[in-house]
Amino acid sequence: MTQSRSQNSPMRTLARKLRGLFTPGGKKSAGEARRLNKKACDDRGLLVFEHTGEVIRAERLLREAGLDVEVKGPPPQLRTGCDMVVAFELVNQLRVQEVLARGGLAPKDVVSANDVLLEPVSLFQVKRLEGRWLMVRAANMKITLDETDGRIVNISGGGCPDVPWVAHQLCGLKLEQAPEPLSLGQTLCCYSLQKAFEELRRQRACGA
Amino acid sequence: MSTTIDTRGFSCPQPVLMFLNAVKADDHGPFCVLVDNDASLENVSRAARNRGFSVETSAEADGVTRLDISKQ
Repeated sequence: MTQSRSQNSPMRTLARKLRGLFTPGGKKSAGEARRLNKKACDDRGLLVFEHTGEVIRAERLLREAGLDVEVKGPPPQLRTGCDMVVAFELVNQLRVQEVLARGGLAPKDVVSANDVLLEPVSLFQVKRLEGRWLMVRAANMKITLDETDGRIVNISGGGCPDVPWVAHQLCGLKLEQAPEPLSLGQTLCCYSLQKAFEELRRQRACGA
Repeated sequence: MSTTIDTRGFSCPQPVLMFLNAVKADDHGPFCVLVDNDASLENVSRAARNRGFSVETSAEADGVTRLDISKQ
Protein backbone atom coordinates (compact mmCIF):
# COMPACT_ATOMS: atom_id res chain seq x y z
CA MET A 1 0.00 0.00 0.00
CA THR A 2 1.35 3.35 -0.91
CA GLN A 3 1.05 6.28 1.43
CA SER A 4 1.09 9.93 0.59
CA ARG A 5 4.58 11.26 1.11
CA SER A 6 3.20 14.72 1.88
CA GLN A 7 1.12 13.42 4.83
CA ASN A 8 3.65 11.15 6.46
CA SER A 9 7.06 12.57 5.80
CA PRO A 10 9.35 12.79 8.81
CA MET A 11 9.53 16.56 8.35
CA ARG A 12 5.75 16.93 8.58
CA THR A 13 5.68 14.75 11.69
CA LEU A 14 8.38 16.86 13.30
CA ALA A 15 6.57 20.07 12.33
CA ARG A 16 3.36 18.78 13.90
CA LYS A 17 5.11 17.96 17.15
CA LEU A 18 6.83 21.34 17.26
CA ARG A 19 3.49 23.08 16.68
CA GLY A 20 2.12 21.19 19.64
CA LEU A 21 4.91 22.47 21.84
CA PHE A 22 4.52 26.10 20.88
CA THR A 23 0.76 26.41 20.46
CA PRO A 24 -0.87 27.96 23.57
CA GLY A 25 -2.46 25.12 25.54
CA GLY A 26 -0.78 22.64 23.30
CA LYS A 27 -2.42 20.81 20.47
CA LYS A 28 -4.05 17.75 21.90
CA SER A 29 -5.46 14.73 20.23
CA ALA A 30 -9.20 14.16 20.61
CA GLY A 31 -8.52 11.19 22.87
CA GLU A 32 -6.23 13.16 25.14
CA ALA A 33 -8.73 16.02 25.31
CA ARG A 34 -11.42 13.58 26.37
CA ARG A 35 -9.18 12.10 29.06
CA LEU A 36 -8.32 15.55 30.39
CA ASN A 37 -11.95 16.60 30.40
CA LYS A 38 -12.96 13.48 32.27
CA LYS A 39 -10.15 14.07 34.76
CA ALA A 40 -11.39 17.64 35.32
CA CYS A 41 -14.90 16.35 35.94
CA ASP A 42 -13.55 13.76 38.35
CA ASP A 43 -11.40 16.25 40.34
CA ARG A 44 -14.24 17.22 42.55
CA GLY A 45 -14.77 16.87 46.22
CA LEU A 46 -18.09 16.36 47.90
CA LEU A 47 -19.07 17.82 51.24
CA VAL A 48 -21.52 15.63 53.10
CA PHE A 49 -23.65 17.13 55.85
CA GLU A 50 -26.10 15.67 58.30
CA HIS A 51 -28.79 18.25 57.64
CA THR A 52 -29.99 20.16 54.62
CA GLY A 53 -29.77 23.40 56.60
CA GLU A 54 -26.03 22.94 56.77
CA VAL A 55 -25.88 22.43 53.02
CA ILE A 56 -27.68 25.72 52.49
CA ARG A 57 -25.33 27.60 54.83
CA ALA A 58 -22.26 25.98 53.33
CA GLU A 59 -23.32 26.89 49.80
CA ARG A 60 -23.90 30.51 50.82
CA LEU A 61 -20.64 30.85 52.74
CA LEU A 62 -18.56 29.27 50.00
CA ARG A 63 -20.15 31.34 47.22
CA GLU A 64 -19.68 34.52 49.26
CA ALA A 65 -16.01 33.55 49.50
CA GLY A 66 -15.88 33.41 45.71
CA LEU A 67 -15.65 29.63 45.44
CA ASP A 68 -17.31 27.75 42.63
CA VAL A 69 -19.59 25.20 44.27
CA GLU A 70 -22.69 23.36 43.25
CA VAL A 71 -25.39 21.63 45.21
CA LYS A 72 -26.05 18.16 43.83
CA GLY A 73 -27.88 15.03 44.79
CA PRO A 74 -25.72 12.59 46.74
CA PRO A 75 -24.47 9.36 45.17
CA PRO A 76 -26.27 6.33 46.67
CA GLN A 77 -23.24 5.43 48.82
CA LEU A 78 -23.35 8.79 50.58
CA ARG A 79 -27.01 9.14 51.42
CA THR A 80 -27.23 10.17 55.04
CA GLY A 81 -30.82 11.32 55.05
CA CYS A 82 -29.89 14.73 53.71
CA ASP A 83 -30.86 15.00 50.05
CA MET A 84 -27.96 17.19 48.99
CA VAL A 85 -24.18 17.40 48.88
CA VAL A 86 -21.95 20.34 47.99
CA ALA A 87 -19.57 19.67 45.11
CA PHE A 88 -16.40 21.72 44.90
CA GLU A 89 -13.13 21.69 42.99
CA LEU A 90 -10.62 19.59 44.89
CA VAL A 91 -7.86 22.06 44.19
CA ASN A 92 -9.72 24.47 46.52
CA GLN A 93 -10.13 22.00 49.34
CA LEU A 94 -8.02 23.88 51.88
CA ARG A 95 -9.82 27.14 51.20
CA VAL A 96 -13.19 25.39 51.39
CA GLN A 97 -12.36 23.90 54.77
CA GLU A 98 -11.08 27.26 56.02
CA VAL A 99 -14.28 29.04 55.02
CA LEU A 100 -16.46 26.37 56.60
CA ALA A 101 -14.45 26.35 59.82
CA ARG A 102 -14.75 30.15 60.07
CA GLY A 103 -18.49 29.78 59.58
CA GLY A 104 -18.72 27.17 62.31
CA LEU A 105 -19.63 24.39 59.90
CA ALA A 106 -18.12 20.92 60.07
CA PRO A 107 -19.09 18.51 57.30
CA LYS A 108 -19.85 14.96 58.30
CA ASP A 109 -17.50 13.85 55.55
CA VAL A 110 -15.36 15.22 52.75
CA VAL A 111 -14.71 12.80 49.93
CA SER A 112 -13.13 12.90 46.54
CA ALA A 113 -15.57 11.90 43.85
CA ASN A 114 -12.72 10.41 41.88
CA ASP A 115 -11.22 8.23 44.63
CA VAL A 116 -14.30 6.25 45.37
CA LEU A 117 -15.96 6.47 41.98
CA LEU A 118 -18.73 8.57 43.42
CA GLU A 119 -20.71 10.61 41.02
CA PRO A 120 -23.20 13.06 42.42
CA VAL A 121 -26.48 13.01 40.66
CA SER A 122 -28.46 15.85 39.31
CA LEU A 123 -30.51 17.51 41.98
CA PHE A 124 -33.38 17.74 39.53
CA GLN A 125 -35.88 15.44 38.02
CA VAL A 126 -37.69 16.92 35.05
CA LYS A 127 -40.80 15.30 33.66
CA ARG A 128 -43.24 16.14 30.96
CA LEU A 129 -46.72 14.91 31.70
CA GLU A 130 -49.43 14.34 29.12
CA GLY A 131 -47.73 16.72 26.70
CA ARG A 132 -48.99 19.75 28.61
CA TRP A 133 -47.44 19.86 32.04
CA LEU A 134 -43.82 20.38 32.97
CA MET A 135 -42.82 19.18 36.41
CA VAL A 136 -39.48 19.80 38.08
CA ARG A 137 -38.52 18.11 41.29
CA ALA A 138 -35.60 19.23 43.44
CA ALA A 139 -34.95 17.13 46.53
CA ASN A 140 -38.35 16.89 48.23
CA MET A 141 -40.18 19.68 46.40
CA LYS A 142 -42.07 19.61 43.13
CA ILE A 143 -43.31 22.47 41.00
CA THR A 144 -45.57 21.94 38.00
CA LEU A 145 -46.22 24.31 35.14
CA ASP A 146 -48.96 24.36 32.50
CA GLU A 147 -46.94 24.85 29.33
CA THR A 148 -49.94 26.10 27.36
CA ASP A 149 -50.17 29.31 29.36
CA GLY A 150 -46.97 29.34 31.43
CA ARG A 151 -48.78 29.29 34.76
CA ILE A 152 -47.71 27.44 37.87
CA VAL A 153 -50.44 24.93 38.63
CA ASN A 154 -49.07 22.99 41.57
CA ILE A 155 -46.45 23.04 44.28
CA SER A 156 -46.07 20.09 46.57
CA GLY A 157 -43.74 18.13 48.79
CA GLY A 158 -41.98 18.79 52.06
CA GLY A 159 -43.43 19.16 55.50
CA CYS A 160 -42.31 22.66 56.36
CA PRO A 161 -45.11 24.85 57.69
CA ASP A 162 -44.70 27.56 55.07
CA VAL A 163 -45.27 25.28 52.07
CA PRO A 164 -49.06 25.83 51.87
CA TRP A 165 -48.55 29.59 52.14
CA VAL A 166 -45.86 29.65 49.45
CA ALA A 167 -47.98 27.44 47.22
CA HIS A 168 -50.93 29.79 47.70
CA GLN A 169 -48.75 32.72 46.66
CA LEU A 170 -47.33 31.06 43.57
CA CYS A 171 -50.00 28.80 42.11
CA GLY A 172 -51.96 30.48 39.34
CA LEU A 173 -49.20 32.95 38.50
CA LYS A 174 -47.25 32.97 35.30
CA LEU A 175 -43.72 31.76 35.90
CA GLU A 176 -42.12 35.01 34.79
CA GLN A 177 -44.34 37.02 37.13
CA ALA A 178 -44.01 34.74 40.14
CA PRO A 179 -41.87 35.87 43.07
CA GLU A 180 -38.93 33.66 43.96
CA PRO A 181 -39.78 31.11 46.65
CA LEU A 182 -36.93 32.23 48.87
CA SER A 183 -38.45 35.70 48.95
CA LEU A 184 -41.53 34.16 50.53
CA GLY A 185 -40.11 31.63 52.96
CA GLN A 186 -36.85 30.67 54.56
CA THR A 187 -37.27 27.01 55.37
CA LEU A 188 -35.46 24.04 53.91
CA CYS A 189 -38.49 23.26 51.78
CA CYS A 190 -38.38 26.78 50.37
CA TYR A 191 -34.75 26.32 49.54
CA SER A 192 -35.49 23.11 47.62
CA LEU A 193 -38.42 24.82 45.95
CA GLN A 194 -36.18 27.71 44.95
CA LYS A 195 -33.85 25.26 43.23
CA ALA A 196 -36.77 23.65 41.42
CA PHE A 197 -38.11 27.07 40.46
CA GLU A 198 -34.75 28.12 39.00
CA GLU A 199 -34.50 24.88 37.04
CA LEU A 200 -38.03 25.34 35.73
CA ARG A 201 -37.05 28.79 34.47
CA ARG A 202 -33.97 27.32 32.80
CA GLN A 203 -36.08 24.62 31.14
CA ARG A 204 -38.50 27.23 29.82
CA ALA A 205 -35.72 29.54 28.68
CA CYS A 206 -34.14 26.69 26.73
CA GLY A 207 -37.48 26.08 25.08
CA ALA A 208 -37.19 22.53 26.33
CA MET B 1 -74.80 16.06 36.69
CA SER B 2 -71.41 16.15 38.37
CA THR B 3 -68.21 14.71 36.89
CA THR B 4 -66.43 12.39 39.31
CA ILE B 5 -62.63 12.40 39.39
CA ASP B 6 -61.15 9.62 41.50
CA THR B 7 -57.57 10.55 42.42
CA ARG B 8 -57.14 7.90 45.10
CA GLY B 9 -53.75 6.22 44.82
CA PHE B 10 -52.22 8.99 42.72
CA SER B 11 -49.39 11.11 44.04
CA CYS B 12 -48.84 14.80 43.51
CA PRO B 13 -49.16 16.47 41.08
CA GLN B 14 -51.42 13.92 39.37
CA PRO B 15 -54.60 14.74 41.33
CA VAL B 16 -54.36 18.41 40.39
CA LEU B 17 -53.64 17.57 36.77
CA MET B 18 -56.58 15.17 36.63
CA PHE B 19 -58.83 17.91 37.93
CA LEU B 20 -57.42 20.48 35.48
CA ASN B 21 -57.88 18.10 32.57
CA ALA B 22 -61.53 17.72 33.57
CA VAL B 23 -61.92 21.51 33.75
CA LYS B 24 -60.37 21.80 30.30
CA ALA B 25 -63.00 19.41 28.96
CA ASP B 26 -65.84 21.20 30.72
CA ASP B 27 -65.11 24.41 32.55
CA HIS B 28 -68.55 24.71 34.16
CA GLY B 29 -68.50 21.62 36.32
CA PRO B 30 -69.71 20.66 38.82
CA PHE B 31 -67.06 18.15 39.84
CA CYS B 32 -66.75 15.60 42.57
CA VAL B 33 -63.12 14.84 43.38
CA LEU B 34 -62.03 12.02 45.68
CA VAL B 35 -58.63 12.42 47.35
CA ASP B 36 -56.86 10.25 49.87
CA ASN B 37 -54.21 12.58 51.34
CA ASP B 38 -53.96 16.07 52.79
CA ALA B 39 -51.55 17.38 50.16
CA SER B 40 -53.95 16.48 47.35
CA LEU B 41 -56.84 17.96 49.30
CA GLU B 42 -55.01 21.28 49.63
CA ASN B 43 -53.66 21.33 46.10
CA VAL B 44 -56.90 20.44 44.34
CA SER B 45 -58.85 22.91 46.50
CA ARG B 46 -56.35 25.63 45.68
CA ALA B 47 -56.42 24.87 41.96
CA ALA B 48 -60.23 24.97 42.00
CA ARG B 49 -60.44 28.28 43.90
CA ASN B 50 -57.84 29.85 41.61
CA ARG B 51 -60.21 29.14 38.75
CA GLY B 52 -63.26 30.63 40.37
CA PHE B 53 -64.82 27.48 41.79
CA SER B 54 -66.13 27.01 45.29
CA VAL B 55 -65.10 23.90 47.20
CA GLU B 56 -66.93 21.97 49.87
CA THR B 57 -65.25 19.05 51.55
CA SER B 58 -66.65 16.08 53.41
CA ALA B 59 -64.94 13.12 55.04
CA GLU B 60 -65.62 9.67 53.65
CA ALA B 61 -64.52 6.25 54.87
CA ASP B 62 -60.90 5.05 54.92
CA GLY B 63 -59.26 8.47 55.00
CA VAL B 64 -60.87 9.61 51.77
CA THR B 65 -62.12 13.17 51.38
CA ARG B 66 -64.72 14.21 48.87
CA LEU B 67 -64.52 17.64 47.30
CA ASP B 68 -67.68 19.04 45.72
CA ILE B 69 -66.52 21.71 43.33
CA SER B 70 -68.88 24.11 41.56
CA LYS B 71 -68.83 27.49 39.92
CA GLN B 72 -69.36 30.37 42.33
